[in-house]
Amino acid sequence: MLETEELKKVFKGKVAVEGASLYLDKGEAVGLLGPNGAGKSTTISMISTLLKPTSGDVRLNGKSVIQNPSEMRRVLGIVPQEIALYPELTAYENLKFFGRIYGLSGKALESAIQQSLELVGLAERQKEVVKTYSGGMKRRINIAAAMMHEPEIIIMDEPTVGIDPQSRSHILEMVRRLNREKGLTVLYTSHYMEEVERLCDRVYIMDHGKIIASGTKEELKNILSNEETIWIELNRPNEAFFQELKSFDGTRKAFETEQGIKLILPKGSRVLGKIFQASERHRVQIVNVNVQTPSLEDVFLHLTGRKLRD
Amino acid sequence: MYAFLKKDILVLVRNRTELAVLLAMPFLLIAILGFALSGLLSGNSEALSMEVAIVQEDDEQQGLTRFAEALEKSEMPAAEKRRLREAAEATSPATLLQEILKGESLSSLVKVHEMDAAAAKRALEQEEIVATLTIPEDFTFQTLQKMLLDAGDGSELQLMISDQAATQAEVFQSILDEIVRSLNFESAIFRIGVEAGAEETQPQFGGVESISAAEPISSFQYYTIGMAVMFALFVSGIISSMAYMEKKQFVFQRILLSNHHSFIYLTGKAISAAVIALCQFLILFFFSSLIFRAFELTDLSFWPGMLLIAASLAVCVGALAAFLTSLMMRFNNDTITTVFSGIVVTIFAFLGGSFTPTDNLPVFIQQLGGWTPNGASLQAFLIWAQTQEIGLLWEPLSHVLLVAIALLILSLLIFPGKGEA
Repeated sequence: MLETEELKKVFKGKVAVEGASLYLDKGEAVGLLGPNGAGKSTTISMISTLLKPTSGDVRLNGKSVIQNPSEMRRVLGIVPQEIALYPELTAYENLKFFGRIYGLSGKALESAIQQSLELVGLAERQKEVVKTYSGGMKRRINIAAAMMHEPEIIIMDEPTVGIDPQSRSHILEMVRRLNREKGLTVLYTSHYMEEVERLCDRVYIMDHGKIIASGTKEELKNILSNEETIWIELNRPNEAFFQELKSFDGTRKAFETEQGIKLILPKGSRVLGKIFQASERHRVQIVNVNVQTPSLEDVFLHLTGRKLRD
Repeated sequence: MYAFLKKDILVLVRNRTELAVLLAMPFLLIAILGFALSGLLSGNSEALSMEVAIVQEDDEQQGLTRFAEALEKSEMPAAEKRRLREAAEATSPATLLQEILKGESLSSLVKVHEMDAAAAKRALEQEEIVATLTIPEDFTFQTLQKMLLDAGDGSELQLMISDQAATQAEVFQSILDEIVRSLNFESAIFRIGVEAGAEETQPQFGGVESISAAEPISSFQYYTIGMAVMFALFVSGIISSMAYMEKKQFVFQRILLSNHHSFIYLTGKAISAAVIALCQFLILFFFSSLIFRAFELTDLSFWPGMLLIAASLAVCVGALAAFLTSLMMRFNNDTITTVFSGIVVTIFAFLGGSFTPTDNLPVFIQQLGGWTPNGASLQAFLIWAQTQEIGLLWEPLSHVLLVAIALLILSLLIFPGKGEA
């Protein structure tokens, strides 16, 4: 349905996106993962026709949209990272405005407003001005505004940033329903790996402006099929202990957090004894040790060397 | 386009700070400047209006008869005696004085009551009047003797003024001084004419010289116009500032994604600014007329011209909003709007004469002010208020519309193209 071909964007001599090729089939939910500055938002802007690529193409049903963006804009809904609403207006007035600029009027407009409000669960608070809403409610109206013209494709750029778990869960369930029940095609970017794992069938991973991996969740996890992850939870961090674990034979990657250390090693590595010996030497108290099969987060770490929220 | 307009108006109405800037502040300034500077402009005599009493102790007819008798006894040629007698009858000073004080030119300022001495004293004590002018006994005879024959010591008017209304009393005294000075000057000229043997010289006493045929402008009228044209400029700043917020919050991009060309958005901003400026004008003029009586609300022949000028200024304000929006979109920086509202509007207000008339400023500043949207429209408003001649509006309104066209062209050239905004 939608594909990009070798998209490239250069800003003042600096390459923001280089050779980004991806596709979305009709009714698919696809995740676009990448740390800050990876080029996700620039890619989204080019796909949504807001930004002209330096080179490459975006095609909708086989037709280029670079020179003729109107068809793409008709079928596309965008949920930006920002709360793209008028805080002084009520939810109803906001939706009415966005409906009107999409050419809706009369009963069709009223019906679209009420459907969108029902969808995001804010029909009863539609007459309140947006600035009085909680962060989660604003995010939900932000989504409702993108749904007013019943788009076929929706691009959601981190739609759950900075909101409470309850609103987050509501939004995720709503997106899932739109995708599964109404066949809406979704391109979803997030800092939360679990959201992408829960919603998306396929995932693209971007870093430094390039797509560095893609595939279904299983395909991506298979990148680390010959490896296993050992999660060592500590009562407090210890740099010398971390450095010793990092220097073990076979350690592919090692990451330290406040809670503990994560090691990615070849499958079947027998290092548990060595870990406990090292902990005694460095007087480190191990709270918990867990040997895991790799997650998408591990794949992301493996590929980019950074955590998703870095 | 209606959706854009309605949205902009709703957003503005819900924003109290901006509403205060657009409506409350100019109204406050009209009140302050209108009251404080009421004496600066010629038309506003309300604050200085006064009631005075004239006590007539002089018998004018008797004075004229005595003057004629004195002439007969003199040794002048008969023809000259006749001329002086005619002049005395034509220019009796007591009548002349009362005609001037009760005349049309002073009627809005001075209300004259004729009283006897006791009633005048009482009225002065009870502050019903601010001054008592006594025309003393023998005033006509002695004044004519002095004026026409340069004989005797003349006569003195007696003025009693109230301490409680010092300003008005002082103004009345100044008016009297001016009348007396004028009479003395005219009589001196007449005497020179008589001595030179001029045949046709006639004394021309009294009267107030008119500098202009135009209706005077009151301070409330001036500052209603001055503040309205100045604060209309703030509409442009506020609308472009709203556009910046729309861009920053991704609403602008959302509008573009609805398949609206960016020029439609720009046109929407211009129309919103123009409509809001026009509403601002109507509100300010209505309330200023209602509360300060700046203009006569029921004068139906007056308002169409005012509306025409306001509409022209509104078009220019719309073009200015489009220009500022384009600049802000191009440079992605709302400092432009801040500088405009904080500095440029003040400079324009000074050049255009919003705070004080520019008549006393250098000619090049007056000319420069005539090309600012507020200055040109202020001139147009003043011309219309004074003359109500539509033909005279062409020059200032052509300035307003030319500036509007130039700003619109610049906006279209500056506004970022596809993929740049």
